[in-house]
Amino acid sequence: MARMKFLCDVERCIECNGCVTACNSEHDVPWGINRRRVVTFNDGEAGEKSISVACMHCTDAPCAAVCPVDCFYTTDDGIVLHDKDLCIGCGYCFYACPFGAPQYPQESAFGMRGKMDKCTFCAGGPPQDNSQAEFEQYGRNRIAEGKLPLCAEMCATKALLAGDGELISGIYRERVMKRDSRPDTWGWQKAYNFKS
Amino acid sequence: MGKKNRANRKTGVSKGRGAGNMDRRTFLRRSGLSLGGAAVAGMLPFSYMQKASAREKEKFTGQTDIEIRHTICTHCSVGCGVLAEVQNGVWIGQEPDFDSPFNLGSHCAKGASVRDHGLGDRRVKYPMKLVDGKWKRMSWDQAISEIGDKLLKIRDTSGPDAVFWCGSSKASNEGAYLQRKFAAFWGTNNCDHQARICHSTTVAGVANTWGYGAMTNSYNDMHNSKAMLFIGSNAAEAHPVAMQHVLRGKENGAVMIVVDPRFTRTAAHADQYVRLRPGTDVAFIWGLLWHIFKNGWEDKEYIRQRVYGMDEVRPEIEKWSPDVVTDVTGVPEEQVFQVAKTMADNRPGTIVWCMGGTQHHTGNNNTRAYCIFQLALGNIGVSGGGANIFRGHDNVQGATDIGPNSHTLPGYYGLTEGAWKHWARVWDVAYEWLKSRFDLSQQYDSGDGKPAYTMNIPGIPVSRWIDGVLENKTNLSQKDNFRAVFFQGHACNSQTRGPEMKQALEKLELVVISDPYPTHMAVMSDRKNDTYLLPTSTQFETYGSVTASNRSIQWREKVIEPLFESLPDHVILYKLAKKFGFADQMFKHIKINGEEPLIEDVLREVNRGTWTIGYTGQSPERIKLHTQHRGTFNTTTLKAEGGPLDGEYYGLPWPCWGPPEMKHPGTPLLYDPSLPVAQGGLTFRARFGVERDGVSLLADNSYSRGSDIKDGYPEFSADMLKQLGWWDDLTADEKIEAEGKNWKTDLSGGIQRVAIEHGCAPFGNAKARCVVWTFPDPVPLHREPLYTPRYDLVSRYPTYADRKSLWRLPNRYQSIQATDYSREFPIVFISGRLVEYEGGGEETRSNRWLAKLQPDMFAEINPKDANTAGIKDKDWVWLEGPEGGRIKVRAMVTRRVMPGVTWTPFHFGGWFQGKDLVDRYPEGTAPYVRGEACNTATTYGYDPVTQMQETKATLCRIQRA
Amino acid sequence: MTAPAIKGSFKVSEDWRPRAILLMLMIAMATLMISGWILHEGVFASDTPQIKTTNPRASFWRTVREGQAGVTTVQGRERTVLIQSGGENWRRVRNLFLARISPWLLGGVFFVILFFFFVHGPDKLKDAPSGETLNRWSLPHRLLHWYTALLFILMALTGLSMLFGRAVLIPVLGHHGFSGYLGMAIKIHNYGGPFFVAGLLIEILAWFKPNIPEKIDFDWFKSLGGMIGKGPRPHAGRINGGSKAWFWFTVLAGLIVGTTGLLMDFPEFGLSRGMFQVVHIIHAVIAVIFMTGSLGHIYLGSIGAEGTFESMWSGKVSAQWAEQHNDLWYAESMKAKPAQSEPAG
Repeated sequence: MARMKFLCDVERCIECNGCVTACNSEHDVPWGINRRRVVTFNDGEAGEKSISVACMHCTDAPCAAVCPVDCFYTTDDGIVLHDKDLCIGCGYCFYACPFGAPQYPQESAFGMRGKMDKCTFCAGGPPQDNSQAEFEQYGRNRIAEGKLPLCAEMCATKALLAGDGELISGIYRERVMKRDSRPDTWGWQKAYNFKS
Repeated sequence: MGKKNRANRKTGVSKGRGAGNMDRRTFLRRSGLSLGGAAVAGMLPFSYMQKASAREKEKFTGQTDIEIRHTICTHCSVGCGVLAEVQNGVWIGQEPDFDSPFNLGSHCAKGASVRDHGLGDRRVKYPMKLVDGKWKRMSWDQAISEIGDKLLKIRDTSGPDAVFWCGSSKASNEGAYLQRKFAAFWGTNNCDHQARICHSTTVAGVANTWGYGAMTNSYNDMHNSKAMLFIGSNAAEAHPVAMQHVLRGKENGAVMIVVDPRFTRTAAHADQYVRLRPGTDVAFIWGLLWHIFKNGWEDKEYIRQRVYGMDEVRPEIEKWSPDVVTDVTGVPEEQVFQVAKTMADNRPGTIVWCMGGTQHHTGNNNTRAYCIFQLALGNIGVSGGGANIFRGHDNVQGATDIGPNSHTLPGYYGLTEGAWKHWARVWDVAYEWLKSRFDLSQQYDSGDGKPAYTMNIPGIPVSRWIDGVLENKTNLSQKDNFRAVFFQGHACNSQTRGPEMKQALEKLELVVISDPYPTHMAVMSDRKNDTYLLPTSTQFETYGSVTASNRSIQWREKVIEPLFESLPDHVILYKLAKKFGFADQMFKHIKINGEEPLIEDVLREVNRGTWTIGYTGQSPERIKLHTQHRGTFNTTTLKAEGGPLDGEYYGLPWPCWGPPEMKHPGTPLLYDPSLPVAQGGLTFRARFGVERDGVSLLADNSYSRGSDIKDGYPEFSADMLKQLGWWDDLTADEKIEAEGKNWKTDLSGGIQRVAIEHGCAPFGNAKARCVVWTFPDPVPLHREPLYTPRYDLVSRYPTYADRKSLWRLPNRYQSIQATDYSREFPIVFISGRLVEYEGGGEETRSNRWLAKLQPDMFAEINPKDANTAGIKDKDWVWLEGPEGGRIKVRAMVTRRVMPGVTWTPFHFGGWFQGKDLVDRYPEGTAPYVRGEACNTATTYGYDPVTQMQETKATLCRIQRA
Repeated sequence: MTAPAIKGSFKVSEDWRPRAILLMLMIAMATLMISGWILHEGVFASDTPQIKTTNPRASFWRTVREGQAGVTTVQGRERTVLIQSGGENWRRVRNLFLARISPWLLGGVFFVILFFFFVHGPDKLKDAPSGETLNRWSLPHRLLHWYTALLFILMALTGLSMLFGRAVLIPVLGHHGFSGYLGMAIKIHNYGGPFFVAGLLIEILAWFKPNIPEKIDFDWFKSLGGMIGKGPRPHAGRINGGSKAWFWFTVLAGLIVGTTGLLMDFPEFGLSRGMFQVVHIIHAVIAVIFMTGSLGHIYLGSIGAEGTFESMWSGKVSAQWAEQHNDLWYAESMKAKPAQSEPAG
């Protein structure tokens, strides 16, 4: 059975935020929440690299391990989902997650966060596949339609890959081999003419 | 629901769909290395992936009324396909268009969010008028009636030139064409669009070098490049999906070089990065050529055969020895040499430039220098080479080709009597009647002291419209100042000199804004009355054709009906035409349904008249077929492999010669003689005469494959056919029409057809020229920007002398450069794009998904300058220009810009000099994000050839607020 | 058995064989080790491949992995950090250690106390009640105690539910039932926490003076108030050494738990994830220790020492209880009172 994974090819990511916006649009994500984000290191300097990250659908998910109400579950193809009806908004999953995937609609006093929301790998949630209830709570269920997450399908440069882990790592390996031992992109070893 | 249930939950994995059933071309296939073929498909079977057609969605969702409409993103010229899911007339979802050879399903942030345009919270919803500072709703009939009456009154007293009709690069081809035609029937050339301030210098410079001023190759063709030189282009933010092709080219082994004052996100992917002082492009390119000539790396054979005047450029290049180049540009010699060597060693190489190169008062010098560089290396007319100009807005190419340009009629015919007569024939109106629409009361200075009627003088362009309002009217080459402006689909915060623009707006008697959104123009001034907002539909609420940067034409389907009370551009123009009494003439051969001109008929009219650039073969039927079968085109060559369009190029990139019946396949690469003209090959256009000073301007022993004439030849005319003995190849009907005409004016298309049958390009076969003897600088020169930080160089590289009348207006150059502002305003001020926003930004800042990503207007400041001024990251600062404009923005302290340079995005609007103008917007239309327009602080400076504004090299000073 | 002495041969002791074998083993091991080392260093050292750094980006991504922040256009707390590894540590400490040990600790102590109760028996009053009572705690004090105690119980129960309720109660209530319960429990815990802290602070203000330690309190511990051993009861003032120790333990643990709890309760404090993880563990560990200690307090205050419950319930204690547990306080109170020692009834 396929295990679904994300892989962001950092050599191709141009921080265009297409993935971020595709996700927001597809799932009608409310203003304060962003399931996916692009983080850039060495911004504006030699060796600038960007990487897109949302939920990584970990095999041994820390969020699932620490949830006091055990609201997470992993589907047969390795997608980590959760049940918002069970969620009590305690915030533990956010503190456990290495990638900061869980998001909350509020940040108010007395630790009231509301129901956690996160990337679902476009696989919806517990309600009936592709039902209105599922859409309202979790967003669209593309996996049930035989499609892949929209962030990856719409990535401007095909940097973000999503799908069967074996297949996408195969694609990535092809690219790495094609790029060969090409010297690192500008800035890793030499800095040209920086006066500051 | 217990735990048990969840473990059994459906996961979407195939149940009985069968292995190997994959007619859906998924992004994973495209992400692999081999493109456009079954290779990767064969390697990676996904048995559970299927094309989710509308019917299948039925199966899954139980919803039977979802339709999929195909359109093209309305943001940039890459032309990404968009699949819109519409249910009950509501746009509910967006799917990736994997079949499109341009984007292969990809989008940037803007493309992924176009669905919000279909929800349109912040849109102008109904016609409105400003009355004593308050917006009052009115009906369309009222609005058209009032506006029409006011305009007619102005026309009576001040003539038709007193109105500025600003059109749009975001209109469809048909909409843009009608905007031009409308201005002509109103009787003025005072119309324009965004290209003026975008690539106008490109079009002029490039067209005057080798014939056409458009992108020569395509984004996809860059897969074949061995080297890519980006100068003044930030494709990662301005053309993100094009980066897919750029990076593929890079992965195929191309060396990527980025030359930019800023370390952009494009530079982050480059193999070589060159930091250059803004405004020194010519110096840099001449520096490259200095090394190339010194080492004999130029392609001598190519130059001998296809280039004229390279020897006239050499003396200028000799002056640009390494130390001179370093002094002027700031680039060290080793780097200049390395770039030159890289480009010389890795051919074919392509050059890409955008606003960084064009937006200077010497922009036409820059663009010609780039062309000369590529000609020297023999990179033009080959796959992987070319001058790949990335155009801006989604249809700026189409609007430039056939739309509202102030200096020409559709198709670059110009404004001569011959041009007008040609179009009068196409429009089937009497030339004399058309002429009578114009101000014939007297003639004016056409620019060189020669008098002419305004009908034949280029109109005041959008970069100068405020001078049309404010300049002393005796200095104008028209009867009166602008008393009214009509802006359809154009923002004003993308033009320079904000404080003067505010004055101009306050002086106007009538301001009409026809736009989906209010725009900065509606709020930036203190106007209290006589300002109208007309809700205009986006391109998603209508249909038509659009031309991408690579000259391919695509068809857009209508996604949803116009929202609220909005109407498409062409309907509004029809209403006005009716009000002004020329609708019958203007739409003589265009069917009207209710009040809507039939789009297909408009395109057919374009086909009938636009012979110069080959917009004749792209009939609505052919374009619709192309868009329908877009999945059959190879994603590198853009050629259909099998299928109903076998052998044609996607979108029939112009020139697509002859009438549609001739079925020319389109020209994917300009000037490529390795293919017969009938199969998309081409030569350099013979546009500049046959010889000069005794030297032939025609190609020398270079000709298209299959050409009957095995040498250079001039452009085709009836007489030439007769001389060649090919006249009888024409049919009887063709002969009647073609008699006395040439390839541009023969409405039968016979001359073109016969020329092509003999393997010849209808526009001739000439040499590209390095010297444009009609330009202020025949050989491109480096001239310091009007506002320069290196005042010591002004004496060596001064700007032009002031001009009394150019483009109907006085033009100042030397009188501005005479003062040294560099001490008081020591920082170079440049501006550019963010990936989240587009253009004036009103539309994208009203898009909830984009707005949340960039909430603040900011200025990038180098840490050194920040420390000197005592500014910390995120502080509020005042940025002031030398002409008095000032803006309040947040400081972003970053090394992206070098010391002495500051950069801002230009997409913001809705503030003016520190004040948030949110209260001036009509209820519910203020964009989510507002900020200072950077152009409130920019300055005067216009290219003499095209009136391009100098936004990429001015000065400022920055202080903590 | 001694081997027969043989003239002229060397004398060995009867247990030479094991020693010899041991010696041989040691020599063999040493030989192996030394030879191994020699072989490794001498022969293979030169063949050991030097590990080249083939990926020059490794150090870059290592710093990212260690929590280096970048920039992002997405607004929000800590969105600029790509990876934070503290969460994994927190998970392990919480799940593998804290959540696992706490029930055993609490349960264990509970049963030890129970065992002690049944085996050793409660602390009985040695004298028969005479009917005479003293006022020990007035109403405000009692209200304060029970208010704080009730909140403590609530905090404890809800807190433990959050810590390991999942393992214990989901089988009983099912996922939805437990979620319903815990959703309410977390609200009680988060909203109630500040109320507990308020009670604690007032307790500190109200009771710190009589709880200041004196020499007799240290002596009190030698026999744990007389509960252990057969010696005479140690002296005690108003509040005996054990109670004082409990008070200060409450203050310390309560302040720590309260402060950490308030930090987590309010986003205004701007706790980052890393800080939250540390604060949370401190909160939970101290709370569990607090709860464990409270078991003793509750035992002694209820069934563990006869007559003690009355002191906080009705506020009155019998004279016998006072003399047994707080003899100095008893003596002072009697001096202050006029003689009222008629037996009741």
